[in-house]
Amino acid sequence: MPRVILTGSVQQHAGGLGVVTVDGGTAAEMIRALEVSHPALRGWIVDEQGSLRRHVKLFHGGVAVSLDAPIGPNDELHIVAAISGG
Amino acid sequence: MTELLVGTKKGLIVLRGGRTGPFEVAARAFPGEVVEFATRDPRSGRYFAGVTHGQFGPHLFYSDNPASGWQQAEGPAFPSSANAAVERIWVVEPGVGDGEVWCGVAPAALFRSGDGGKTWALVQGLWDVPERRQWEPGAGGLCLHSICPWPGNPNRLAIGISSAGVWLTDDAGKSWRRSVVGLVPRYLPEEARKDTHAFCVHNMRRAPRQPSTLYMQFHGGVYRSDNAGETWLDIGTDRGLPSDFGFPLAIDPHDPDRAFVIPLKADADRVTPDGKVRVYETRDRGATWQARDDGLPQSQAYLTVLRQAFCSDGGNPLGLYFGATSGEVFGSADGGRTWSTIASHLPPVASVRCA
Repeated sequence: MPRVILTGSVQQHAGGLGVVTVDGGTAAEMIRALEVSHPALRGWIVDEQGSLRRHVKLFHGGVAVSLDAPIGPNDELHIVAAISGG
Repeated sequence: MTELLVGTKKGLIVLRGGRTGPFEVAARAFPGEVVEFATRDPRSGRYFAGVTHGQFGPHLFYSDNPASGWQQAEGPAFPSSANAAVERIWVVEPGVGDGEVWCGVAPAALFRSGDGGKTWALVQGLWDVPERRQWEPGAGGLCLHSICPWPGNPNRLAIGISSAGVWLTDDAGKSWRRSVVGLVPRYLPEEARKDTHAFCVHNMRRAPRQPSTLYMQFHGGVYRSDNAGETWLDIGTDRGLPSDFGFPLAIDPHDPDRAFVIPLKADADRVTPDGKVRVYETRDRGATWQARDDGLPQSQAYLTVLRQAFCSDGGNPLGLYFGATSGEVFGSADGGRTWSTIASHLPPVASVRCA
C-alpha cells in the first residue's frame, strides 16, 4: 500500500505519526482513507467539500500534484504545509 | 478570581487575577495559531476556541480546562449539498435549550449544537433564505458574528451579519425574516439604499433582563431596538459620541438602559479618535453618552479594538474588559469609572471574553 508522509504540525492530529500507510489509488483516495484511520485529520488537509486547503501542497515523486493524481501501491505522497505566515 | 479568555493572532492567552488585578498569563493554548474567538459556556463550564491554522484552515475546539485537553469538535462544517466550506469561526454563543450552543461562521451561516458543542449541524433555514444570493461581504468577509438568544425562549433568536443585516426567527431557525427598518447605510449613495441588501451590522447585543431591547453598532451608526429587532432607532447622532463608527459593543446584563461602545474615527481610519482611548457609556438607552477614560491612554494612542474584543462580566459593580490589536488588554472593575492596563505586549487581540 502507498504511504502518506506528514510534515509539520499536522502530525499531531495523526497521533504524532509522520508516516501512515493507507489504501488508495489517487491522492484524494489516500487522504479520504487517512481521515478514516485518523478522524482528527478531517477537515485539515482538505475542507469539508474535499478541496485541498489553499496553503497545503501534495508532492509525488518530487513533483507537486493535484488530488486526482494516481499514486502507485509502493509510492509515497508527501503532504506539505506552505512556508508562509506572519 | 476573574478569568479572561483572550484570542490573539498567536494563540489563546488565559489571563487570571483578582477582580481589581493584577492579572497574569495563566495559560497559553494553540501557540502560533490564530485564535479568533474563545468563550466559556457558564452552564456546562465548557470552553470553546475557534482556531484558524495558517495552512490547515478553521476548526472549533472544546475543553473543560483552557490550559489543556482541547478536543476538536465535529464541525461546524457545511454538508456537501451546501457547496461551501467554513472560512472562519466568528462566534460561539450558549443557547437556551438544554445543551444548545450556537456558532456563527463565514461565509455567513449559523450552526447549532444540541450536545453542548461536540457536534454541529447547519441551520438550513437560514442558509436557504432566497436573499442569500445577494449577500455581499464587508471588509472582514461575509460573517455571522452576533447571535442573540432570547432568555427563556429557545424559539426566538436574532443574528447579525456583515453585511447582510439583522435576521430574526421565532421558530428555532426554521424560518427567518430580515429586519433592517431604521438602519441607514450611509456608505451607499442615497438612491441605492432603498433596495440594497448591504446592511453592515458590526455588533449586536440583547439586554437579557428586557429581551425586547437590543443594541447595535453599525458601520456608521449606533442603534437600539425596543421591539426585539423589528425596527431600529438612531442613538448615535449628536448625543456625545466622537464618532458613530466602531466595532465593539458591551451591555450591562442587569440594566437594559446601559450599554458601552468604543468608537473608532471612521471606516477609512479605524483607530481611536484624537489619539485617545475612550469607552463611551450610556445609562439612558442611548439618549446621551459619556466618555469613560480614566486610566486609559489619552495621548498619541491610535488603537484598533476589534468586533469581539470587548466584554462585560455581569458583576456588580460591572467589570469591563477590552483588548487592542496593539496587544494591550484594559480592564475596569467599577463599571468603566476607572481603568487599568491588565496585560501588554500580547499578540494582536481578536477577542476578549470573561470565563
